[in-house]
Amino acid sequence: MRKTILYSLMATALLAASGLFSSCEKVSPQGVLLGNTSVDDRVKQSLIYYSYHGADLDWDLTDSIEEYSFLVGSDSHVTFDPGRLFEMIQIGIENDDLFYCHLGDIVDTKPEYYSNTQLALYNATRTWKAKYIKPLIDEYHTADDGLYFDKRITPSTKNYLKPWDDWNLPFYPVVGNHDITHNGWSLFCEQFKTSFYEFTVKVGDSYDRFIFLDSANGTLGDFQTDEIDNNALLNDDKPIRNTFTFTHTNIFRPSLNEFASTYCREELYYILDKLADWNTTIAFWGHVHAWDDRMFGGVRHITMPSMNFVDHPNGGDDLLVRVTVYKDGREPKVERVGLYCKERSKEELESLGYYVTTK
Amino acid sequence: MPSNNYILINNMGLFQRLALSLTLALAASTAVAQYYSGDHTFDGENKNQVSVSLTTGKNIITGPCVGNTVHYKHYFNNHWSVDGGINMQYTKGLYGIKAKGEYHLKLMSFHMFASGEYMFNHYNSYNTNENVGNMSVRFERGYWDITLGGSMIGYNMMGDHYTEPLTLTFGAHASLRPRTHDWNVGLLFRNYDDFYYENWNINWGLDFYWKLKPNWKLFGEFNIRPAGSMSQLASKYETTGKVGLIYRWK
Repeated sequence: MRKTILYSLMATALLAASGLFSSCEKVSPQGVLLGNTSVDDRVKQSLIYYSYHGADLDWDLTDSIEEYSFLVGSDSHVTFDPGRLFEMIQIGIENDDLFYCHLGDIVDTKPEYYSNTQLALYNATRTWKAKYIKPLIDEYHTADDGLYFDKRITPSTKNYLKPWDDWNLPFYPVVGNHDITHNGWSLFCEQFKTSFYEFTVKVGDSYDRFIFLDSANGTLGDFQTDEIDNNALLNDDKPIRNTFTFTHTNIFRPSLNEFASTYCREELYYILDKLADWNTTIAFWGHVHAWDDRMFGGVRHITMPSMNFVDHPNGGDDLLVRVTVYKDGREPKVERVGLYCKERSKEELESLGYYVTTK
Repeated sequence: MPSNNYILINNMGLFQRLALSLTLALAASTAVAQYYSGDHTFDGENKNQVSVSLTTGKNIITGPCVGNTVHYKHYFNNHWSVDGGINMQYTKGLYGIKAKGEYHLKLMSFHMFASGEYMFNHYNSYNTNENVGNMSVRFERGYWDITLGGSMIGYNMMGDHYTEPLTLTFGAHASLRPRTHDWNVGLLFRNYDDFYYENWNINWGLDFYWKLKPNWKLFGEFNIRPAGSMSQLASKYETTGKVGLIYRWK
């Protein structure tokens, strides 16, 4: 009996030790054997939101626009200083990028970190609105109507005119494991609403499709794969030119010392097959904090480095990706973009209204 | 003194036992597992063995799993053995073969097994061929064993090929009774099974065997194969059960 207890303890110790191999900062043996959040539940909740708001996400660009671009970042792991996330959006606004995509692990779960992220995105939203959102005053409208427009959007479409408060920063994230490790889904969906959605960008007569998938648990899960197979997203009937996909968990491991979970065997092949079915132009992956760029099955796969202060205290020339898409159908251009801000002192952050301690 | 159940089983004919095994396999269909039939078998003698098993369960991508596996292990002497296996997972459309060579050495109070393995899997639904090479060392004592090694996994699909970087192979198994006992129940924890080597997804579960006669063993396994273990959000991926028979001879 004593031997049995001894070996049970050894097995438990081995289990706990295995958590130390994780790429995560927070080690939780519970999550190694059983997850504490369900991808199925998140996707069900996301689809409810998407069914009401999915069509509002689409962009219909004016005929005068010959090209547009979007920025992609990953693994910002915001704790006390959300500076890198803010810098990403600031760069996007300066360059007139149409929107900003994030591949998950935005935040390290704690409420204080989510609060800091929310404040940074609020500040970024103010800058973005000041540049792009204007009051509509013409022969039919007065300032009292309280309607605002974005001149990049075709006037006849439903998204062209909205009250000031209805204009949101075009920041499109997917959920990562760190966003929800300690039951953080409620915090994530309060801010970002959904983990499974898509939208289109209409430029000229063509549509580009942007699909965001929830793989925070290292799997798309039973429900999400069924919904994908049943075409639950809205845009299967449009003539799609380019498809871009965004999700957290990576397919390709750039080197042997990356210990983050990737997909189980059948799911790996299912996803690669599905991306080929969608005629995906570029599939973006995060999670592993390392760069990888390869063609496989006719799809370009870009795995992104992290943009956080821990991995890159001094920043770097290549932490983001900008993709430029052309109206004339040329192959989209991919370029790498730098982030350089340094982590601020706690005193400075506190003076700006950020949390600098957690309880 | 043997239990009544043991006497009952012992008095059964071969076909009755097979019928009992299949019934148990079907009963386990909501829970299934895959028995790692090549390992954990040293009970004082190295014997040739053949095993047949039935697997059922559920996988989130492929739905219900139903399949069977056949293994043959041949000892040339007390040190060297070869092992071949065939796996047919009908509903998954997964078909695999493997071959393994193993060297057994008694090292102080341990039994050490060093092995090299080649495995080929065909995933019919995605027209994907997977080639796996593995080298591992397993240390056994009476109640437990630990496996460490490395796997190289490559796959071909849609006209492209990708070889994954070396992946650590690790496994641990502890049993309630010593390996020489007539029955046993064990706990397993590992990133591989008979016909796959995973990256960082850790299987865990229960297994058992019951020596029906000196040359016959009933064995089974309940195996949970989650996704995302090392992302700390282990999530339902596959649950399988396996029940089978092993025949051993010198």
